[in-house]
Amino acid sequence: MNSAMTQEELEQILDQAVQDVTERTAGVRLHQEDMSPGEDLCTVHITFDQGFHTSLTLCADTSLLSRMACNSFHEETVSQEDLEEFSKEYFNVLCGRIARAMFQATQVPAHFNPPTFHSGRYEPEGQEIQFVLTYASGQRDGAQLIHHVPCSPENGASEV
Amino acid sequence: MSKRIMVVDDSRLVRVQLEDVLAGTEYEIAAYCRSGEDAIARYAEVQPDLVTMDIIMQGMDGLDAAEIILKEHPEARIVMISSLAYGDTFERAKAIGAKGFIDKPFHQEQLVKMFREALA
Repeated sequence: MNSAMTQEELEQILDQAVQDVTERTAGVRLHQEDMSPGEDLCTVHITFDQGFHTSLTLCADTSLLSRMACNSFHEETVSQEDLEEFSKEYFNVLCGRIARAMFQATQVPAHFNPPTFHSGRYEPEGQEIQFVLTYASGQRDGAQLIHHVPCSPENGASEV
Repeated sequence: MSKRIMVVDDSRLVRVQLEDVLAGTEYEIAAYCRSGEDAIARYAEVQPDLVTMDIIMQGMDGLDAAEIILKEHPEARIVMISSLAYGDTFERAKAIGAKGFIDKPFHQEQLVKMFREALA
């Protein structure tokens, strides 16, 4: 996101935010584990429009997001609309936490657009993956937090 | 008597979280608006003691909505509840006249303390 930070420092900020916000918002503990999500997936995505020209994507098993949504809404099942609403608000809070930590580290204020929700895996156009943090829950479903940066010109894609 | 809160947030989840956190306190949710435009339109009708305002919403953002409400109703007491509680956003909220700023995710203690300060 910013040349003043190393990728390792950024990964630490993202990891701490994921673990803390997930437990506080939805009562689910996630830990980093190299386990790919299954085939029934949802994705939430935000783009930073000020401060950093990057984006973050959370691609998670639908079962994980549904369980988190049920915990948060205090309901046994959730509708597709509630799943989408929960996912966007959860990711909004998560990205806010990340942006605040980035501000503390760099003094660069970052703003981002409202999150978008997608059924299945979504990959933002004109961006390439810089790194991926992979998580698993105690119930063996998982999520990936993906940090995207604008495609480099030599790859033939336009910069965002 | 309960203090009446108007919640402005495009997420139903935040309403549920606020209902949880405010249960058993002297505050009740009197109205729920899912956009800044809705909050501006309903403020005079609801006449809340306090408004909680999200910032990142579809359409008009919460800072613009708070500014308009405070121009039309200078007596309004608005607390921003957002994940963007830092930097220039924080400064702009103060400049507009917001009574405080609470980070998401929030705790009951933090919320009640801020509400009491805003209503003092």
